[in-house]
Amino acid sequence: MSVSAAAITVAQAGSDFFRDRSEADCIRDNGAFCAGWVIENADRYVEPTLEHAFLVLVPVALGFAIAFAMAVASHRARWLVPPFIGATGVLYTIPSLAFFFLLLPITGRGNVTAIVALTAYTLQIIYRNIVAGLANVPADAKDAGLGMGMTERQLLWRVEMPLALPEIIAGVRVATVTTVALASLAVFAGAGGLGNEIIAGSAITFRTGIVVAGSLMILMALAFDLLLLAIQRHLGRWRVAGRERAAGAPRLRRLRAPGPERA
Amino acid sequence: MHAREASRDEDPAGAALAVEFRDATKTYPGADAPAVDALTLAVPAGEICVLVGPSGCGKTTAMRMVNRMIEISSGDVLVGGRSVRERSAAELRRHTGYVIQQIGLFPHRTIAENIATVPRLLGWERERTRARVDELIELVGLDPELAGRYPGQLSGGQQQRVGVARALAANPEVMLMDEPFGAVDPINRERLQNEFLRLQAELRKTILFVTHDIDEAIKMGDRIAVLREGGSVAQFATPAELLMTPADDFVEDFVGADRALKRLSLLRVADIDLWRAPLAFAGQATSEVRAKLEGAEVPYALLVDSERRPLGWLSDSDLARDVVPARPNSSPEPVLDLDDVMRDALSDLLQAESQYAPVVDAQRRIAGVLSVEIVSHFLTSEEALTDEHPAAEREFVEP
Amino acid sequence: MTLTLAVLDAFGGAVDFIFSPRPSRGSGPDVGGLGQVGELTLEHLRLSGAAMVLGLALALPVGVYLGHRGRAELLAVGIGNAGRAIPELALIAFLVAFVGVGFVNVTIALVVLAIPPILTNTFVGIRQVDRDAIDAARGVGMSELQIALRIELPLAAPTIIAGVRTSAINVIATAAIAPLAGVVTLGDFIINRNVYGDEGVLAGAILIALLAIAVELVLAAVQTLLTPRGVRVERALAARA
Repeated sequence: MSVSAAAITVAQAGSDFFRDRSEADCIRDNGAFCAGWVIENADRYVEPTLEHAFLVLVPVALGFAIAFAMAVASHRARWLVPPFIGATGVLYTIPSLAFFFLLLPITGRGNVTAIVALTAYTLQIIYRNIVAGLANVPADAKDAGLGMGMTERQLLWRVEMPLALPEIIAGVRVATVTTVALASLAVFAGAGGLGNEIIAGSAITFRTGIVVAGSLMILMALAFDLLLLAIQRHLGRWRVAGRERAAGAPRLRRLRAPGPERA
Repeated sequence: MHAREASRDEDPAGAALAVEFRDATKTYPGADAPAVDALTLAVPAGEICVLVGPSGCGKTTAMRMVNRMIEISSGDVLVGGRSVRERSAAELRRHTGYVIQQIGLFPHRTIAENIATVPRLLGWERERTRARVDELIELVGLDPELAGRYPGQLSGGQQQRVGVARALAANPEVMLMDEPFGAVDPINRERLQNEFLRLQAELRKTILFVTHDIDEAIKMGDRIAVLREGGSVAQFATPAELLMTPADDFVEDFVGADRALKRLSLLRVADIDLWRAPLAFAGQATSEVRAKLEGAEVPYALLVDSERRPLGWLSDSDLARDVVPARPNSSPEPVLDLDDVMRDALSDLLQAESQYAPVVDAQRRIAGVLSVEIVSHFLTSEEALTDEHPAAEREFVEP
Repeated sequence: MTLTLAVLDAFGGAVDFIFSPRPSRGSGPDVGGLGQVGELTLEHLRLSGAAMVLGLALALPVGVYLGHRGRAELLAVGIGNAGRAIPELALIAFLVAFVGVGFVNVTIALVVLAIPPILTNTFVGIRQVDRDAIDAARGVGMSELQIALRIELPLAAPTIIAGVRTSAINVIATAAIAPLAGVVTLGDFIINRNVYGDEGVLAGAILIALLAIAVELVLAAVQTLLTPRGVRVERALAARA
């Protein structure tokens, strides 16, 4: 064996030895972030993270679908708006933890309960944003649309919804971030998610575990937020376009009299 | 422009139709008096009828009854002899051009998509729609490069033109315009008005045009309906009749005390005999020019280029030399067009504090010289008191 | 049908739990009954109230200052966004594992949760006050502080209270898991099922929900009361238009 190869082997063995010692120490002393442990046990976080994402995506998607349907209904029948706001408001007010256990007799423990409660929580945010987005559509665009012969339905889908989309997506962003945070409580409903990594059993003292799970949740929230922000920007690109005006606007040409081309 | 000719033939709906109000009334629930009270009015096909009056006179309400944006309480409105109530509102509107003051372009759609709105609603094929959009963009004087931009990127004047293009897209039988040029500055407004009149001379649509500005009404209208508050007609007449014989005190007050001056809006520069100024070319011997100046109608020589386009007036110091210089001392401004409305031409003259202004044709070639004297002479002449010039039938001098 | 019966049965049991004490499921004193319910409710309110008062005391002046000056918009709005992402369970767990249990510690954690909505809404509300009104006030000779307190604050009140409401909901909800940190709130009924039994759990859920709704209603009333009358009229007219 060459000298360099031997040196590497010794160094490797030495660092292994120290790492084992300090890692065990780290865990025993309940260090804030035992890197070695995290790396070794990274795969135990895969499933809870996926479950957590599931517990976010499903409620947001369901909440969006329901809120959207409500908004379309109340767009024509305006008298529905106050009761809808009221109903979604009540669902929003009830703390998720309480909601889980109110549902328990009906849906039992597990993901379903968590999803129902989390969906209910998103309704108000999304519904309100859709309604506000539709309300902010310029009145002259609507007048012009109707005046050109669009039916009410065509106006809604071709003019009002596209113009309201940026604001709607903004609402979905808020709902998503909030749901990522709330899904940490899903563990109490017997569902999956990263909450299980925090409150294993009933003791919540494993520091590294808390830091890792908490960080993962915050990162997930950030990732979803940025993704939706990109979508929001893309869908509202005509808004950005306005700011590019004035500089380099082409000159108006004199109107040619229409008719056969003159030589 | 074969494409446009073809589309007109394919669309018999493109031929203009007459619009008639028969005792048309609109009363809003809870209001004491009707907003429009038994309006009876017949607008001949192919003419611009201006609805004008003080605010609250119901002119916009009356206009919006034609495409049922406002439902008629009683009475009827007929387009081409058919009651608007018989047709479905959406179908009626797709065949009616609609231009509003705030324009109402769809911010989320490009200019081309905006213009294509009604053709798409009518289910035109993509190729035909695209061709029509390109044609219209050119027709309203916009740079084709703007087609892919969004409304937010255009100026007010440009947006207004898009609004007109959009209304014309499906070759409607009737056009409704509510203060369409109101949102732009006066300079652009004048330009847009002139260009629209030029368009109308070719397209000959039936147009209901709402404005609160009597000067715009006189300039644009073939016929003018002056409405009283409460939406009844005080007078329905040609601009000349309105100015010469107002029906009552209300109309007289509304038209304004300067009726004589307003009549200048009925004339174009091309309508009167212009004076001739001696023309000079660069390099010409000044002795020749000075000879021409003897006894000329206009005591100044105008330097023109080889195409007879005015470059400037020659001053005494210019003429003191041997040859005419290539560059003049003074600018030719204001340069007026043959097509300019006399009122605007006079205004430009006075503003520039200039006694004489060269008048050019469509190719910018000199056609004559206008002076304030000519205008005042004309105003007091017999000719001026009897002539009538319908807004869009005025002839344009061919080169 | 059996599901409905089961549900009704469960809720019946929960209501019973609220009113009548019964032996604990584990070892220990009797549980249930109005006395205990009242005790835990008071503790819940005490904790939430403390957090809200502190949160307001910290966030409101900062929000007013930044909003009035128009500074640090990114920060003020960013904190609002970031606050939403704080996982409630992780927050409490972090507290327990790193700082320690106890009323004061939990209150501090809840204050962290309470601040973002109040800060952001105060900032935004003040920014949205009509610039012309502020100009006029300056022109009349009001000092910056007077403008902030007499013009901006009242006009921004509806938006600010909306933020307080959001804050309160979050705080009350998170106060429910405070028992994990040693503060016995209504959440204890839910978390310690082995002591209170299933009826206790459901009772806890019902009570927390009712408490949240009650606080929300009170704050909504406060919002209406604190909205200057002129603004209220303006809004009513706008809503009708």
